[in-house]
Amino acid sequence: MKSLNLAASDRGRINALLSVDDTIALIRAGAPLAIAGREAALDALPPGNWIGGTTPYFMTVEGGSIIDDTRLFVSDFSGLGAVRVATYDGDHLAGISEDAPENGFALAIIPFQSAVHERFAKEAGSYPQAFLKPTVGWIAGFDLGESGAAAFVYDGVHATRHNNRAVVLHVDLPAGAYPSVEIVNIFEADGVETIRFEEATFAPATVLVDGERRSFVDYVRSRGLDGGKLPLVGDYSGARINASIRAVEADKVQLYAPVFPGIDYAFAGAVADYAGAFREAFAGHAHDDAIWSCNCILNFLFGELEGKAIGGCAGPVTFGEIAYQLVNQTLVQVRAV
Amino acid sequence: MALPPKNAPCWLKLANGGMKSLRTTNLGAQMLSQRLELSKLPPAQKAEEIHAFFVKWERGLTNEIAQLGGV
Repeated sequence: MKSLNLAASDRGRINALLSVDDTIALIRAGAPLAIAGREAALDALPPGNWIGGTTPYFMTVEGGSIIDDTRLFVSDFSGLGAVRVATYDGDHLAGISEDAPENGFALAIIPFQSAVHERFAKEAGSYPQAFLKPTVGWIAGFDLGESGAAAFVYDGVHATRHNNRAVVLHVDLPAGAYPSVEIVNIFEADGVETIRFEEATFAPATVLVDGERRSFVDYVRSRGLDGGKLPLVGDYSGARINASIRAVEADKVQLYAPVFPGIDYAFAGAVADYAGAFREAFAGHAHDDAIWSCNCILNFLFGELEGKAIGGCAGPVTFGEIAYQLVNQTLVQVRAV
Repeated sequence: MALPPKNAPCWLKLANGGMKSLRTTNLGAQMLSQRLELSKLPPAQKAEEIHAFFVKWERGLTNEIAQLGGV
């Protein structure tokens, strides 16, 4: 395991797996932190200027990793500017961006399958300050091998954990720097058909294919896509924004992110070599002054990324990623440029 | 290239569909463009939002600002 003094990343800020004891030492030293790990490890942390969320899955510079409850992934935001912790219920989620500093960003963690998760996913793109004060972050999850496991987020200031609130770090950046929110998406539309949806939903019953309304579950099955490995790719004025399949049930398809009316979607083309595709796509992006990143559990699982390095990024592997709004099967990073 | 003033016609042109024709890889600009295309806000209000976005992120939108004269 890395010792505290060797775990530093860019500019001396820690962004790595640490022991629980080293994490506690950082909290007690007053460092502003975003922490990810298993529930038992997060439950053991003292109050301090930190937020947290549950997941046992991580990407490190050395490769993907599944951790036990002796370690935590710690992102240190020291040396940037003022860092404040806040929490929001479902009626006040617009405050995530509204309360962010003028020259900074919000890092949000939201529990999977909560009402807050659903509401943020449907509303985030329409919050008044969404594109003036950017939000990045992730959806907290759990070990998929543990039956009955649940996602939690943590407010370190008040030493509380929640299953239906968003916890947020508002991070101010130094004068002269600004936050750049970027995504690495290895998926592209397969070019077969453009499809549309008629309502914002995680579970579309129908789909418009060339203007003809069809059962979405029948459509997915007819395309042979019920394995769920390939996401829907939405065209947001050129940005490729994914919504991934969570389950194909008898009469409906559940997604990890909502689809929206008015957006052109297509299913993604197959990716033969996930890790290679990520390495190539990651290398095509700037990573100077990267502050934080996360990647998707579906990329981790379908790409079999455990033990595989995909570039210099490190961060939690999540049940949804946030880059202004909820996205899926995507690497998100924020840089101070 | 300097950012055009708030009363320049380019902002209203962007609000009336010109935003979609901008060549950009800026994620925020792309997502804002999509949101405004689907929005029922009056064009003047959309233009204000676009102007505020460009003022805020001017340093990172050099290529996009260079295109404003041709919108």
